[in-house]
Amino acid sequence: MATDDDDILTGPVPAPDADATPSERARAKTFADLVDKTLAGRTPPAMSTDDRALLEVATVIRAASGKAELPAAKRRSLVEDALRQAVGGAGGTSSGGVVPIERARRRWVPWAVAGTSTLVAVAAVLLLWLRGAPTAPTVAMPEPTPVHQLSRPADPLIGPISREQVGDASTRIDTIYADRLDGYRERRLARGRKP
Amino acid sequence: MKYWALLIAVIGLTLSAGCFSCGNDKDAEVRVKPPEPSDVIGEDLMLALSKAKNFHHKARVYMSDGKVVEAIASVREILSLKFPAGAPEAEDVRNDARALLAKLLVGQNQIEEAMTVVTEGIAQSQRESFFVANLYTVKGEIHEARAAQLDDKDPAQKAKIVDEKRAAIEAYDKSNAINTVLQQKLMEDR
Repeated sequence: MATDDDDILTGPVPAPDADATPSERARAKTFADLVDKTLAGRTPPAMSTDDRALLEVATVIRAASGKAELPAAKRRSLVEDALRQAVGGAGGTSSGGVVPIERARRRWVPWAVAGTSTLVAVAAVLLLWLRGAPTAPTVAMPEPTPVHQLSRPADPLIGPISREQVGDASTRIDTIYADRLDGYRERRLARGRKP
Repeated sequence: MKYWALLIAVIGLTLSAGCFSCGNDKDAEVRVKPPEPSDVIGEDLMLALSKAKNFHHKARVYMSDGKVVEAIASVREILSLKFPAGAPEAEDVRNDARALLAKLLVGQNQIEEAMTVVTEGIAQSQRESFFVANLYTVKGEIHEARAAQLDDKDPAQKAKIVDEKRAAIEAYDKSNAINTVLQQKLMEDR
């Protein structure tokens, strides 16, 4: 037998202060049990359209209040998928074996560092090997300065001084000066200067 | 991040080692010291020689006019000329000036002063040369002059005369010995 309580959507709206009817109480208790089962993951396979609509509303209200939490594995999987899409990687679902992005990115870095270091070391060894053993120091010999450009004793130029020539120092200094002037001029001209 | 820091450190060390090796190769070249500026004929030496030459000419002019005192003063200027340190020409020029100065002093009867000039020149000489031999020759002449000043009729001075003449002979022998050695050396060098 149908009553007004059977059609809560089309029936008359009860007064705000009116007591709940037994029928309403029974319906509320049945719906509460249904919500509890749903939250516990034991959603009934079949239910009325009205109950499903109410159940969805209840689920949305609960989720909006922030009290709904996903399992840790599922939550991490969803975050990893979102980040992978954000960094340009292939999106898609992730299974329970999802590798964290940071760990996956770091996996090749040590190999790259080790490989580059090895290449540099090999290049250095090859460089030292190809240069060969150190050769003996090369001696950069400067051009020897001609003797007549050097300051030196005047003995070869003057020779022995006889007793008669002791006082002839003026002639000897002239000879020495002229000889040294030749060497001086030659040296200056060789260096590209004006004497 | 720490891996990249390690990589940069390894590359830096390798390049540093390479550069260090390059630097060692550059150091391997031994450079022989070029002649010191004092070894070659320079402006200082030519300036000193030029001044000495002019003082000698000046003294010759004075002597030609009989102005021996002025000539002595001009020759003395040569002894105070500044030559480059270690220049062999300096000793030769000064010894030659001392020889001339001593002869001029002897002519002025300043025999002891002449002897001082000569003995100082011999003592200050760093090597034997024809100019040192010349000083010994002048020294012999000074000894002769000393002997000539003594009275050979005075028995008390006779011994001194003998000593001075012996000293003169020794000085001439020394001069000859130096000349002989130097001439032989020059012949060998040629």
